[in-house]
Amino acid sequence: MQKRIFLKAVLGLSVALGVSFAGSNLASAQDALEKVKSSGTLTVGTETAFAPFDFIDETGTHAGLNVDLFEEIGKEMGVEIKWVELPWEGVLPGLEAGQFDMVAGPATITKARMERYRFLSPVAEATVAILKKAGDDSIEKPEDIAGKLVGSGKATAQLAQLQEYGATLPEPVETREYVGFNEAYADLAAGRIVAVANSLPNIAYLASQQPDVFETVLPPFGKSTYFGYIGTKKPEDQALLDAVNDALLKIKADGRLGELQKKWFGQTFDTPEAVTDPNV
Amino acid sequence: MSMRLFELMLWAAGNTILLSAISILIGFVIGLMVCAAKVSANPFLRIPGTLYVSLFRGVPLLVQLLLIYNLLPAVGIMVPSVVAAVIGLSLCTAAYQAENLRGGFQSVPRGLLEAADMVGMSPWKQLVRIRAPIAFRLTLPALVNEAILILKASSLVSVVGVIELTRMAQNLSASSFRPLLFYSVAGAMYLVICWAVAGGGSIAERMLRTGSRA
Amino acid sequence: MTLDFGLIVQNLPEILAAFWMTIWIWIVSNILAVAFGFAVATLRRYGPGWLGLLLRLFVEVIRGTPFLVQLFLLYFGGPFIGLSLDPIPAGLLGMTVYATAYYSEIFRAGYNAVPVGHVEAAECVGLTRGQIIRRILVPEMTMLVLPQCVNMAILMMKETAILSIITVPELTLVVGAIGSQQYAFVEAMFLLALFYWFLVEVSGFLGRIAEARLSKFRFAHS
Repeated sequence: MQKRIFLKAVLGLSVALGVSFAGSNLASAQDALEKVKSSGTLTVGTETAFAPFDFIDETGTHAGLNVDLFEEIGKEMGVEIKWVELPWEGVLPGLEAGQFDMVAGPATITKARMERYRFLSPVAEATVAILKKAGDDSIEKPEDIAGKLVGSGKATAQLAQLQEYGATLPEPVETREYVGFNEAYADLAAGRIVAVANSLPNIAYLASQQPDVFETVLPPFGKSTYFGYIGTKKPEDQALLDAVNDALLKIKADGRLGELQKKWFGQTFDTPEAVTDPNV
Repeated sequence: MSMRLFELMLWAAGNTILLSAISILIGFVIGLMVCAAKVSANPFLRIPGTLYVSLFRGVPLLVQLLLIYNLLPAVGIMVPSVVAAVIGLSLCTAAYQAENLRGGFQSVPRGLLEAADMVGMSPWKQLVRIRAPIAFRLTLPALVNEAILILKASSLVSVVGVIELTRMAQNLSASSFRPLLFYSVAGAMYLVICWAVAGGGSIAERMLRTGSRA
Repeated sequence: MTLDFGLIVQNLPEILAAFWMTIWIWIVSNILAVAFGFAVATLRRYGPGWLGLLLRLFVEVIRGTPFLVQLFLLYFGGPFIGLSLDPIPAGLLGMTVYATAYYSEIFRAGYNAVPVGHVEAAECVGLTRGQIIRRILVPEMTMLVLPQCVNMAILMMKETAILSIITVPELTLVVGAIGSQQYAFVEAMFLLALFYWFLVEVSGFLGRIAEARLSKFRFAHS
């Protein structure tokens, strides 16, 4: 018996060691741009629980700003877009593992993430606000969430901002972390939580789609932030990300992004060419 | 639910069936090898075989899938979502199938093998003519059971980016705010598939039994 | 990438709390499910026919659908029919219902495996049905069903990972979140694999001890 356990332990350890060796990344670094050009497809990882950026609409179709915008990017670059849809917590690991060329999301541009990833030119505002149940009088302004149970997405910048803001209130906010924002919205509708913290474009869209269920609490409580698409900092990825960014800047400059923003958010956002020093 | 949404659910159910069927087949082959390794007298085969079964039965499939999807690329093996899902399901079911097969082979009556020895059958012939057919018949119920388990376990592969029945229901209930409807439909589809597999299994068992009598 | 297991040390309190959450939900739901599973098997055997059919349908439906779908239906569908449970009660209820169906099948097979002669003999000497169940069926069956119950309990240990999807703060959710915060995704997954492997091996070991004890007990008295 003891011998067996010992052997198991040894083997377990050697597996772990093997991994850390393998982790030193012996994989050959082929230039990502060449790969994309030669295969004619740009593989983009995303999460379809992030309306109106990325979601499955009532007809079961993958829709949103991401789909439209990447179609334009694909046209500019002469490539097809291939979507890989994952729960958000699996998206960044997948990017690091090289499962896709880049990530749509989009993600809030933060200092911590900028240290690890390369953000492309921002596509929308990401400032965090509160979504409440329609007609809930107990929350009239953001600070009313003090001492209450508020939901947000697991491993998201919105959650981090909610926690930071919650700590400044007279009574701390209790948070619940969801695998996807859709589950948080469903729980708000079911009354398990009193509010959801997410970026203003997302919750404003939701409140406009379901006005008798949800309502936005203004003003946003978070610091001013932006949404951007994400790539790695691996040297072999940079040429590709430059190319995508150039296409994106062109789409922004000629007003196509503005039209898409109008289509999906009902308004346009002024976004800088690049975010260099994010607020959070 | 409109016709289009129902078709989408059916398509996703097709994915579930396809993924499970392929994984069960690959898992059966790997399971045979693991079983052979585990009953081998050679410790260099036996110990890895035992460890394999212990590991793949001891770690939740959810974790196995995430490891396969995110680790293999780090060693230079690119695995697209569907491949990662099939690898994960196959490796997992192989551990269970190996145990089932081991049970089956061990239940082959000793007397039969002794008789075969007496009439001078070679070990290989004994395997093909006696041990394998009997073991297969004995493990068929367990195999059907395992197929049903894998059908249900495939609901987890959305974590590596594969859209199957459960994920489709999740997506559609989010966009329509009608979780009750879509999860019920998904549940009903799983039931139909599982019952069909169970029914097919018992027909196969009956046929094998008559076959053995003839 | 290098594996940085400092992750465990820095977040020890959260990880321990998550361990505890996993273990208590597992223990409580399994105890409840063994009791309910026994009740379901007994009612199917001795209860009225319509109840037997209903229970059979329950067992078949639960065994024919993924736990994940059941959990989604309970947690996200429940509020639409006025059943709005918090994550932990929902997780506990979901696990219990799921395991009850499987345990009831184990007990049903156990009932069937007790030789008919023993029951007939007990009837001849005038034992009541309750006495027969208590004195003959249950003791004889225990030895037969114990290995399968241990097996089922181990399977349920791994199913607890799925509770993370309805935000129960158990091992998978907590370790996954720590991994995401610190961008140590692969390390977190490795930790999880090790934790569950450990829990499964320990519970398998305890199960084997229980089996050995019980078989000794049985031989001593027979």
